[in-house]
Amino acid sequence: MDFADDPAEAAFRAGLRAWLRDHLDEHREGTGYESAESVERTLRWHRALAEAGYVGISLPAAYGGRGLPDAYEGILNEELAAAGAPASPPIGHIAHAVADFAGEELKARVLPGLLGCTEVWCQGFSEPGAGSDLAGLSTTATADGDRFVVNGQKIWTSGAMWSGWCLLLARTEPDRPRHRGLSMLVVDMRSPGVDCREIVLASGSREFAEVFFDDVSVPAANLVGERGQGWQIAMHMLAYERGPADMGWVGRLGRVLAAAREEVRSGRVAADAGLRLRLAEAAVDVQVMQWHVARSLAGRDADATGSGGSVDKLLATRVEQNLYRVVSDLAGPSFVLGAPGPFADYLWSRAQSIYGGTQQIQRQIVAQRVLGLPRA
Amino acid sequence: MEIELTAEQRAFRESCGKLAANLAARWHRGRGPHDIDPPVPDDASWARVVDSGWLAIGLSEENGGAGASVVDLTVLAERLGYHAVAAPVLGAVIAAEQLQTWNAPSGLLQDLTDGGLRLAPALGADLRGLTGTTAGALAWDAAGAEAAVIPATGVAHTLGDALPFADPTRAVRPLGAPSAGLSALTLTAPGDDAAARLGAFALSLLTADLLGTMQAALDAAIDHARTREQFGAPIGSFQAVQQLLADGHVLVEATRSASYHSAWAVDALPGTQALRAARVAKAFASRSAVEVCESAIQVFGGIGMTWEAPAHIWLRRAHAGRSVFGDEHHHQGVIADDDLQRS
Repeated sequence: MDFADDPAEAAFRAGLRAWLRDHLDEHREGTGYESAESVERTLRWHRALAEAGYVGISLPAAYGGRGLPDAYEGILNEELAAAGAPASPPIGHIAHAVADFAGEELKARVLPGLLGCTEVWCQGFSEPGAGSDLAGLSTTATADGDRFVVNGQKIWTSGAMWSGWCLLLARTEPDRPRHRGLSMLVVDMRSPGVDCREIVLASGSREFAEVFFDDVSVPAANLVGERGQGWQIAMHMLAYERGPADMGWVGRLGRVLAAAREEVRSGRVAADAGLRLRLAEAAVDVQVMQWHVARSLAGRDADATGSGGSVDKLLATRVEQNLYRVVSDLAGPSFVLGAPGPFADYLWSRAQSIYGGTQQIQRQIVAQRVLGLPRA
Repeated sequence: MEIELTAEQRAFRESCGKLAANLAARWHRGRGPHDIDPPVPDDASWARVVDSGWLAIGLSEENGGAGASVVDLTVLAERLGYHAVAAPVLGAVIAAEQLQTWNAPSGLLQDLTDGGLRLAPALGADLRGLTGTTAGALAWDAAGAEAAVIPATGVAHTLGDALPFADPTRAVRPLGAPSAGLSALTLTAPGDDAAARLGAFALSLLTADLLGTMQAALDAAIDHARTREQFGAPIGSFQAVQQLLADGHVLVEATRSASYHSAWAVDALPGTQALRAARVAKAFASRSAVEVCESAIQVFGGIGMTWEAPAHIWLRRAHAGRSVFGDEHHHQGVIADDDLQRS
């Protein structure tokens, strides 16, 4: 049992701290998705991190990663949070899907751009008729010689408006049982027939879009893995999407907690005994989540069920939503009166239990795959 | 970072589990509170505890121990919780650790580990921690113990009859007159770091006991949900039941991570940092254990409310373990004071 850094981990941490000390000031304005300017700032931050070698660190070095163990993703998150830096780009799940399933040619062609953040990617999974019931999706990719022809509609596609590429889950084998008829394709978003329409969220965030595919031609060489393997790849990907370190949640929550503590310590916010206790309770939750994520990352290779991501996401969701309730109560009237930022942040915390598989779907996964309870 | 039990620790866990199950099988909760066994192990059971080395392994080698890590000791505590063992092992281990921290003579510590002398730790009247004063002091996990020592005075006190206590697997007894058989000890107060470390030690053991307790309740509830049928199907196939149990699993695994960190920190970090980590872990384990044990009773339905079913024993142990050495409200209060002091 050793939660401490080994010498290599310590050296990585020290290097990262030094880099943040020298470069964070250039990104003090922060990141976001509310306007074209904030999106540009976000992408600039991602590129800076990538150029310094801090994106995709647990992915193979041959494709622009660093081949480091998963535990380093945890260190990256901790240090970004400690420095008050924006989160790392949320691409670990897409990168793992491509790195772990695509053929050599495709990996060499697309991974360096993804991990270098010179190309922006999105993930085309959900559809209007296929949310929690993802395997029921109806976007088709029909084989036609050395290409697929894609038709259909995706929704809730993060970053689609400014993405160059989409990792698309589509039905290629309509005759097979529904889970086995899906394939994963890399689609160039600049292809003719791709049309994006922005979805503005309740918080004002303009990160999401609907994406329409109308006879979009995709080279057969852009198939990830085998035909019919799409569901397996999607599940692999979701395990990473649900890993709080892969998505930068751990760092974000640590930052929110630290800011709330500072508000109380400095006297800017008057907290009565009850609120102080609730903030301490949230601090306990965040700390336990950080330890849990460290353990989870250190042992992910050995996770036999592959469902550890669901456990982690359920925990992170519980912790996050409780933390934001405390933070909004600390804010008092200014939570609803004045600058809209705090309310928007709170609204986004409510999305945590919806995206990447709802809280209810995650619990079903844990109950059936980890605890072995029978299906209805 | 290497955050799992080693092969040796897993083997130790298995051997602890066997003996713990064996001890648990010899304790009977009867048909109701009127004919439950007291939590005093019979001589044969206690001899097996002594022979197993459980009381000795944590002490340093010069005191007749094996210098085991606190992680090793929490492996033991988790199994004791899992089997709801009604024998005062943790009380004896914590009393010995406290005396070692206060530089008690090694002869006395060896009397403890070879079973010749049975001591329990003295807690304050609010059960929140080890106490320095005799007034109101209570010996915890004191079934069969001869005395409890107040280290600040060096006096060993006899123990009165067990007080009513929600957890029938452990006894709480008031301190009485100075013991005639044990002369007053000359002890040396530990420094701040060692005192903090002792607090972290006790909290880590309680956290592990709570972890085992909640895991046992969850496992039993899962088994019940797989086999109990209603509406022509196992109740474990219903989403409402599955979701309750899934949430329980999340709390158990998060508590396990906290327990690992807390135990590791006692040996690896300075005392104050270890104590902080242990408070966080104990606070989380305290609320989580009660929640999971309550959910387990819910899954058992009416059966869970009977004396005959074991579910109430886990819930009782969870509540008692939550209070002893401070519940979540106590520790979160300390954390709030530490974190939110006006700058």
